[in-house]
Amino acid sequence: MQAAPEGSFTDRIEETLIAVILGVMTLVTFANVIARYVFNSNILWALEGTVFLFGWMVLLGASYAVKKNAHLGVDAVIEILPAPARRVLALISVVVCIAFTFLLLKGAWDYWANFANLPQTTGRWFPTGFEETFRPKGWYEVNDIPFPEWLGFVRDVFNDGDEYEKLPRFIPYAVLPLSMTLILLRFCQAAWAVWCGRQDRIVASHEVEDEIADVRRKEEA
Amino acid sequence: ACDDGEIVIKFSHVTNTDKHPKGIAASLLEQRVNDEMDGVACMEVFPNSTLYDDDKVLEAMLQGDVQLAAPSLSKFETFTKQFRIYDLPFMFKNMEAVDAFQSSDAGQKMMSSMEKRGLAGLAFWHNGLKQFSANKPLIMPEDAKGLKFRVQPSDVLVAQMEALDASPQKMAFSEVYGALQQGVVDGQENTWSNVLGQKYYEVQDGITETNHGVLDYLVVASVDWLDSLEPEVRDQFLTILDEVSVERNAAINEVDMEARQGVLDAGGVIRELTPEQREAWVTVMKPVWEEFTADVGQENIDAAQAINAGL
Amino acid sequence: MAVAILFGLVIGFMLIGVPIAVSLGMSSVMFLLWYSDTSLAAVAQTLMQAFVGHYTLLAIPFFILASSFMSTGGVAKRIIRFSIACVGHMRGGLAIAGVFACMIFAALSGSSPATVVAIGSIVIGAMTQAGYTKDFAAGVICNAGTLGILIPPSIVMVVYATAVDVSVGRMFLAGVIPGILAGVMLMTAIYIMARVKGMPKGEWLGWGEVWASFRDAFWGLMLIVIIMVGIYGIPGVTGAIFTPTEAAAVASVYAFIAAVFIYRDMGPLKATGTGPEAGRNQSLLRKPQALVTAWFHRDTQKTLFEAGKLTITLMFVIANALILKHVLTDEQVPQHVANAMLSAGFGPVMFLVVVNVILLIGGQFMEPSGLLVIVAPLVFPIAIELGIDPIHLGIIMVVNMEIGMITPPVGLNLFVTSGVAGMPMMRVVRAALPFLGVLFIFLILVTYVPWISTVLPNAVMGPEIVTR
Ligand code: NA
Ligand code: NA
Repeated sequence: MQAAPEGSFTDRIEETLIAVILGVMTLVTFANVIARYVFNSNILWALEGTVFLFGWMVLLGASYAVKKNAHLGVDAVIEILPAPARRVLALISVVVCIAFTFLLLKGAWDYWANFANLPQTTGRWFPTGFEETFRPKGWYEVNDIPFPEWLGFVRDVFNDGDEYEKLPRFIPYAVLPLSMTLILLRFCQAAWAVWCGRQDRIVASHEVEDEIADVRRKEEA
Repeated sequence: ACDDGEIVIKFSHVTNTDKHPKGIAASLLEQRVNDEMDGVACMEVFPNSTLYDDDKVLEAMLQGDVQLAAPSLSKFETFTKQFRIYDLPFMFKNMEAVDAFQSSDAGQKMMSSMEKRGLAGLAFWHNGLKQFSANKPLIMPEDAKGLKFRVQPSDVLVAQMEALDASPQKMAFSEVYGALQQGVVDGQENTWSNVLGQKYYEVQDGITETNHGVLDYLVVASVDWLDSLEPEVRDQFLTILDEVSVERNAAINEVDMEARQGVLDAGGVIRELTPEQREAWVTVMKPVWEEFTADVGQENIDAAQAINAGL
Repeated sequence: MAVAILFGLVIGFMLIGVPIAVSLGMSSVMFLLWYSDTSLAAVAQTLMQAFVGHYTLLAIPFFILASSFMSTGGVAKRIIRFSIACVGHMRGGLAIAGVFACMIFAALSGSSPATVVAIGSIVIGAMTQAGYTKDFAAGVICNAGTLGILIPPSIVMVVYATAVDVSVGRMFLAGVIPGILAGVMLMTAIYIMARVKGMPKGEWLGWGEVWASFRDAFWGLMLIVIIMVGIYGIPGVTGAIFTPTEAAAVASVYAFIAAVFIYRDMGPLKATGTGPEAGRNQSLLRKPQALVTAWFHRDTQKTLFEAGKLTITLMFVIANALILKHVLTDEQVPQHVANAMLSAGFGPVMFLVVVNVILLIGGQFMEPSGLLVIVAPLVFPIAIELGIDPIHLGIIMVVNMEIGMITPPVGLNLFVTSGVAGMPMMRVVRAALPFLGVLFIFLILVTYVPWISTVLPNAVMGPEIVTR
């Protein structure tokens, strides 16, 4: 579960990313308290910046949690079933998960696309194509985070060359389609693993026990 | 609930339904639409930010998931920076000036300038002029120096606080009362109805009657949704909206004074300024205009000032 | 009817092994596609809004992180030593000390399972060695651990405050007296059982040990002071310094400093197994570069990652519960429920019984935060209508969540205790049963004596304002 030797390269990237985002969130919030209380000043973007990081961490981390079978669930029923029945339920469950993530991916694209001057998909629940006319929303900025100068090039691509004062929304919102794609991918992998019989459930079973074993190891050390 | 075949008009806002000026107007609109357009259209009001907050409601509107909203005017500054005129300190002499500017050509043009981005402004709803409050008496602008003021997200309001040498702070609305009470921040600015509704007078030394800014709302719908309505349906709806707006806006001074009296009755302290004292605040804060003249447009500022002069 | 199908789907999905988050999300999306015109984009927006629009929820990752640093950094074992020094000499003393330690750790940590892990992993073993049965030890800690969400700070209170838009600081204050009361009730029950069954008692180690253990635990206990003073200030000395959300971030940074530089149980100054100073913590003076390396040290990274992972699984459930909440609001279900209940002529007493029953049943299946996100908006408008104090309602909900944590099939504390004690879950359930009775009596007490919850927040912050 931690960056153990058997952890793959992608594991390490994801784990580092989670740790770094949480660390930055904590430090930015802490710095804002210091700025206000000690220096009677402020970091006006601290609050908004932190909540976006929060969203990034959880949404991207959700795909990691799928990979590691860490999502919370109820295994009391499947625990008492014979293996074949358990396999069937696991297959049904993973299909539900794939369907859900697929719908969310469509929703995430539709929500994000116009912000990035791209067309939404048509269709109520199944994408049947791309809409032909739409209102681009590349100009739509967040509330507090200033536009970083090094991102200057997006001005020409997304805002007809107009200045941005604040970060355009399509940047923080990009995490939605990105994370949904990753989660969909991970659920497909899980489905394959269930099909091949390499795992019999897609929820955390005794996840906590690993952590406790960990605590024990520490106490004994 | 709506019947089959009726056009569903979802109206999402962020206040209560029976005390706040916006909530009262929304409830009146809901009642009239549901009575007079029965069988054609039906309005569902979602108060108290239960469905969307002011920021997300505009996204949802452009997306087509909500039909009507009335965010505060600062929220439209992303759509057109001209709206920054309403946040500029001491731009309007009183609510009559605000009202006159909003219905003037300049005000109407400003409102319709958002149409290219998909938003149709339908009617302004008043809340009133803003007052300062803090945990110590604010008589002269120097009194605000070094204090931490909670402000809404708006570059103009940040600049206004900096002009006072005060420290602007961002904070979730639900944490403001506690933060004022416990002293995390020292002060805030708001209208009488919000000072009363949020009971800020309980946790502040007093409210100073500066009338330095305006807090109003704009009722909006998406251009695409309006276009999708049958002309007669649209006309009937807009007529009702107009009548409700005129009725509630006409009552705003009365509502405001009731709220002001409510603060007094509840034991709140209100400090009035002499003309000289008020002039001192104007002198310190008015330079903020220059920073935003390019955004707002000199012609709009001139129009507003002409209205002030005529009243 | 449609709503019954919705909740049926949620529970059905969960029982066949669909993750809780997906069960909530998928049921909501199916309901929405079937019954409403709302777009899937609105669902994605709600998912994003779960983080971007609820600033107070930020307290969750921060309190989880603070608690991780506290457990990794050896604060728990110092608290236990202090607790044993105080009450270990009584009949059943070690068990009472366990409860006491849980209460102290609860005041540092926002979560119940974290409290069970931190205290239980040490105390259950120690109790078995001292001659208690393992079942008794597991039962005590499993129950006392639930205080983690009642004694402030509390993640569940943050979720409630966010869901119904009341002040987090007020909720935290409201938990103080009920938390102490529940702890004292548990300790009393243990003491009586201990007298009846003649359970072991420890030795009185003298005031010297009380003082020494207090000094050793001091830097951990300071965190309680920092959180409380930071949020509420000291009258006449200082105003408050930060909001409850910020308090959590400050607590994390403080816990990191305490763990790495003061206790040195983790990080670059931790004792190494080899070399001339094997087994002893290193001095910062001898290794000043630790001031920099500590921030990137493997232990720091690992603690951050573990806290992040826990946050992710928890928040993914909450975010999906917010999707369900959005769909229910969109279909105006809360109004319908409120109207049905009001027109059925429910008074406050009957209403609170119904709330308790809903939460107790829901608590069997749901993780507490997710359940609160869904139930709180449903019952809140009715409570206001009936004149029930929102803070009182919040405490009732939290106590119900406590009970949900120690009842199967979904009981986070049961999972954790079975892991810590190395016992099958059903045995833990039986072991926890007698003390569950105590919590039930406590629930009734809290439900019908609002004073317990509201007196402290009203005294400090004035009466709750209801502006709806
Ligand atoms: Na706690
Ligand atoms: Na349970």
